[in-house]
Amino acid sequence: MADSVVMGSGSFNSGSRSGSSKTSTSPTDNYQLARRRTLQVVVSSLLTECGFESAEKVAVETLTEMMQSYITEVGRCAKATCEHTARSTPTLSDVVVTLVEMGFNVDTLPVYAKRSQRMVITAPPVTNAPVVPKALMAGQKRTHPSYIPGHFPEFPDPHTYIKTPTFREPVSDYQVVREKAASQRRDVERALTRFMAKTGETQSLFKDDISAFPLISAKPSAIPYLSALLPSELELQSLEETDSSEQDDQTDTENNPSHIIQDDQSADKENVVLPPGGVVPTGKANEENMIDNPYLRPVKKPKVRRKK
Amino acid sequence: MLSYKQNPDPSGLHSRRMNRKKDKGFEICINNINFQRKSVIGYVELTIFPTVMNLNRIKLNSKQCRIYRVRVNDLEAPFIYNDPTLEVCHHESKQRNLNYFSSAYTAAVSAVDPDAGNGELSIKVPSELWKQGDEMKVMKVYIEFSLDQPKGGLHFVVPDVDGSMAERAAHVFSFGNQNSTRFWFPCVDSYSELCTWKLEFTVDASMVAVSCGDLVETVYTHDMRKKTFHYMLPIPTAAPNISLAVGPFEILVDPYMHEVTHFCLPQLLPLLKQTMSYLHEIFEFYEEILTCRYPYSCFKTVFVDEAYVQVSSYASMSIFSTNLLHSGMIIDQTPVTRRCLAQALAQQFFGCFISRMSWSDEWVLKGISGYIYGLYLKKTFGVNEYRHWIKEELDKIVEYELKMGGVLLHPTFSGGKEKDNPTPHLHFSIRHPHTLSWEYYKMFQCKAHLVMRLIENRISMEFMLQVFNKLLSLASTASSQKYQSHMWSQMLVSTSGFLKSISNVSGKDIGPLIKQWVDQSGVVKFFGSFAFNRKRNVLELEIRQDYTSSGTQKYVGPIKVTVQELDGSFNHTLQIEENSLKHDIPCHSKSRRNKKKKIPLMNGEEVDMDLSAMDADSPLLWIRIDPDMSILRKVEFEQADFMWQYQLRFERDVVAQEEAISALEIFPTPASRLALTDILEQDQCFYKVRIQACFCLAKIANSMMSTWTGPPAMKSLFTRMFCCKSCPNIVKTNNFINFQSYFLQKTMPVAMALLRDVQNLCPKEVLNFILDLIKYNDNRKNKFSDNYYRAELIDALTNSLTPAISINNEVRTVDNLNTDVRLILEEITRFLNMEKLLPSYRNTITVSCLRAIRMLQKNGHIPSDPSLFKSYAQYGHFVDVRIAALEAVIDYTRGTHFVLTTNFLCLSFSMLGKLGPFSWSGIFFIFQLVCLLQRLGHNTISPNLMLIFSIYREVLHPSYVQKLFSFIIFIKERYSFTILTGKS
Repeated sequence: MADSVVMGSGSFNSGSRSGSSKTSTSPTDNYQLARRRTLQVVVSSLLTECGFESAEKVAVETLTEMMQSYITEVGRCAKATCEHTARSTPTLSDVVVTLVEMGFNVDTLPVYAKRSQRMVITAPPVTNAPVVPKALMAGQKRTHPSYIPGHFPEFPDPHTYIKTPTFREPVSDYQVVREKAASQRRDVERALTRFMAKTGETQSLFKDDISAFPLISAKPSAIPYLSALLPSELELQSLEETDSSEQDDQTDTENNPSHIIQDDQSADKENVVLPPGGVVPTGKANEENMIDNPYLRPVKKPKVRRKK
Repeated sequence: MLSYKQNPDPSGLHSRRMNRKKDKGFEICINNINFQRKSVIGYVELTIFPTVMNLNRIKLNSKQCRIYRVRVNDLEAPFIYNDPTLEVCHHESKQRNLNYFSSAYTAAVSAVDPDAGNGELSIKVPSELWKQGDEMKVMKVYIEFSLDQPKGGLHFVVPDVDGSMAERAAHVFSFGNQNSTRFWFPCVDSYSELCTWKLEFTVDASMVAVSCGDLVETVYTHDMRKKTFHYMLPIPTAAPNISLAVGPFEILVDPYMHEVTHFCLPQLLPLLKQTMSYLHEIFEFYEEILTCRYPYSCFKTVFVDEAYVQVSSYASMSIFSTNLLHSGMIIDQTPVTRRCLAQALAQQFFGCFISRMSWSDEWVLKGISGYIYGLYLKKTFGVNEYRHWIKEELDKIVEYELKMGGVLLHPTFSGGKEKDNPTPHLHFSIRHPHTLSWEYYKMFQCKAHLVMRLIENRISMEFMLQVFNKLLSLASTASSQKYQSHMWSQMLVSTSGFLKSISNVSGKDIGPLIKQWVDQSGVVKFFGSFAFNRKRNVLELEIRQDYTSSGTQKYVGPIKVTVQELDGSFNHTLQIEENSLKHDIPCHSKSRRNKKKKIPLMNGEEVDMDLSAMDADSPLLWIRIDPDMSILRKVEFEQADFMWQYQLRFERDVVAQEEAISALEIFPTPASRLALTDILEQDQCFYKVRIQACFCLAKIANSMMSTWTGPPAMKSLFTRMFCCKSCPNIVKTNNFINFQSYFLQKTMPVAMALLRDVQNLCPKEVLNFILDLIKYNDNRKNKFSDNYYRAELIDALTNSLTPAISINNEVRTVDNLNTDVRLILEEITRFLNMEKLLPSYRNTITVSCLRAIRMLQKNGHIPSDPSLFKSYAQYGHFVDVRIAALEAVIDYTRGTHFVLTTNFLCLSFSMLGKLGPFSWSGIFFIFQLVCLLQRLGHNTISPNLMLIFSIYREVLHPSYVQKLFSFIIFIKERYSFTILTGKS
């Protein structure tokens, strides 16, 4: 008992913890509350047995906590001992070993149990054992396959290992994918063009129903060749995408050594040997200076007029 | 690679020039170009070496220039300016018909012909200098001139947006039909008058002036706002080969050849880089085959908007249409642009560097440049493409000549009388390039290069190239000489000189060939048929000729006949003579077919054939007449359908395959169907043959409608080639890496849409198929743009349209729209609207949509209304779109049984007036307009001819009369219009 007093401060904490959980009303909590109450009764009766007439609630709580820890520890160690000998269910000897381990004189136990002034405590009110929440039942609980002996622990609840995809499985059917992509694009295009047609000027093919097939009206532009010749942003974008993969391929197969030589070294070393036409400039500023083209030369300042 | 020899200029700044009477050197300085007012101010200075005594009058060419003063050796000289082409026929003249106009116009052009020493500008040499003239001393003629809103010669493009001229991408460039340099500065506007040049252009500091020759320096003016570009052209060059382009160009030095510089309008530099990335290959090719360096020390290419023609070549520079530029994603435009570049470069050697002695020698230049261009095609695009091209060109010239009368390459004009017209069958004079019809000139060029090929066949390519090399090396030696050495005439090619060097080099006499094809016009028309004589084992071939109808001539000489027999292919050379029609050709093989044996082909290949189709008694598989196209001819040959089928399947020559396909059109049998399908499926087969097979198959399927079994023609084939394996109704995502199958994929739906069922409607299955292609089209993973493919799918929809069943001419409304048509219309609406947001390359999709809408209107599905097309025809849309829209407008006039009247012409002319500033495209549109009117069934233009001219004058400058004239001729010749004369 002396030991349990030393640990008082720690049990206070845990007591307050359990106190904080009082507000919850789940069946598991109920079960624990009932158990704790039983333990409190036990502690109180023991105290009475020892001759206390009253005790502060905090003291009782602390003792309860110590008791609970002690029992838990016994159980845990007994389990460990039993598993250490490759069994799954603890036997009496496991408990005995545990108690010995914990420094308890086992021999005193029968005497203590048969003491005269002991109080019999009624069994705790039968509260329903905590029901494993059904909500988490996912799928059938798996039984052991034939090669696993029955004494092995059961599989955990399916929800712990069954993956429950939160997204819908991607449609892998090619036809459906294409169908979808096509109709999606068409819908977007139609919506976009309808919107543009509604918000801007339109031309119509029918006189009776101007809204039937609205055509965005043709507007002349000042420099029509620009939009007609330059690739649209969309095309450029897709080109970049395809290009990056393309280039990877090319660096492997097509980029023959001569190319590399021309690109990097010729500018410095081979310029003397090669005629000026043989060099492929890479657009670097210093290299461009080396190209002697009259259109790249700087514009001359006018000559100062001679004053006569 | 290229490194150019700089020819020393012995004469310094003032270079020399020659005419029959007088010689000149030339300096031109343009010191003001005003984009706002579209005006140009400058002066020219000519250095003249008199070659005759008593030179007291100097005649120069000049049109539309305002001339302020003329000085000869610093003395003011009086001058007279008279341009007779301004008023070809006087208003009071009584005759108002085309022939009268034609002769008057020819006379006017002759009156200012520089080759005859004439000109619009006549300068009187001051009497103080007469003495000097007698001593044949150098004279300097100085002329100050200006141009205000030029209607020809120079074209200003000034977009109507905010900003400075450079920001607006305003530019100006020279252009013209043949020798038209006189439109922008006074000169001797002849191809035979060479001189060296010094050119100076002062332009805004933000602009670049590109011209012929070497850019010596660029100097700022004193206020630093402008700069002057100094050019020197030391190689003697004729005035028509001088050009100018000024604009805020982006500059690209060719990465492979630093002497070559490319210019494009702002923002287009990436396209320019892509487009020009293969120019060096063309350079290399020509230099290699001609074993001659590119003659000029530099080369410039300029891409301009609203270009007069796609390609025009000038000394050391070429001006191209900006619409030739393309990005790397565009497939269809790439070969077209490459061809244009190759053409331009070929003309640099023959046409610019080597010029011509006289107009009648033009065929040599056009012939050689066209011929070496053909060699480039052969090398780059392959023999199939080359042979296909030759066949195409041959078919073109044959069709033209048979319809319009002969094309004469080398006319000889005796005396000056119109009566001695060498081409009386033509309704225009071929005496001057300016009196020709365009179409005739096109055909002339086509015939010229075909004739060069005939010469090559005769003397071998090696000798041919040697002749070219000789011409070039003589010319380049001459070009480095001083004028006084009288060597410059070596730079001018003449027919006789050319023929002489052929005979010197090859030692062969090509006189008969030249006489037949060059000195004489017309083509040969053969009809062939045969019979097999089993007893004698002889093929009796009958070849007849038609040489009486217009455009034909009689052919006497050898002709090659190729006979494919069971034992192999045999060539026979027959002699076509006056009276012999029948030719007996002994056969090599007996008709034995029981032995299973491979059949050897012409190219040495041996193939298995299923011979069950052929005639059991005859060993003949097929016969070809003149397979090498070594005569300018049309052959109509009769042989059985199975022979055409064998020819299609097993003859390896694309020309033979194409001939077989066109012949099979009249044999709608299952066997023809099978042969065509087999060809379609063969990927070794040339793609253009396969494309042709598509259309032939569609025709055959329509003829076999009642007996046709299985799915619509080509559908299963298309499914197999381009659709997904797992779901055959869905087309694969686009991947155009393989160009052959790309072209096939594009064409097959278009051909399929031509299929018709018993009700003469496009089968529902086909329409749905095309709609599915559009629906499932997915270009996201493609390296190339699919704009041409989508455009062709729209064309396929257009092809599927058939006339609506109209009940009592009810008005077309949305409600009574056919369901199929509704689907088609939905697609077209979506495409056309999307194009506004994401425009496609060259707006191909808009063009196709406009055509489709017109077709819907025409077939009575939607109300006929030209207003949509009118809005697309406005200035400010891309030129392809404008043309398509105008075609639709014209088409509309037919649908309403519009009678072509003077009023209508007035209307269309005034419409054109409003179309916008580009008068050249205006001309083009009038051209289109009337051509289309004719095509659409108007047989008679009945307005007063003079009235057309008077209306025309309101719209355009008189200097265009020439163009309009040739255009009216064109209409007449192409569509056999009856142009009536009206009474005022």
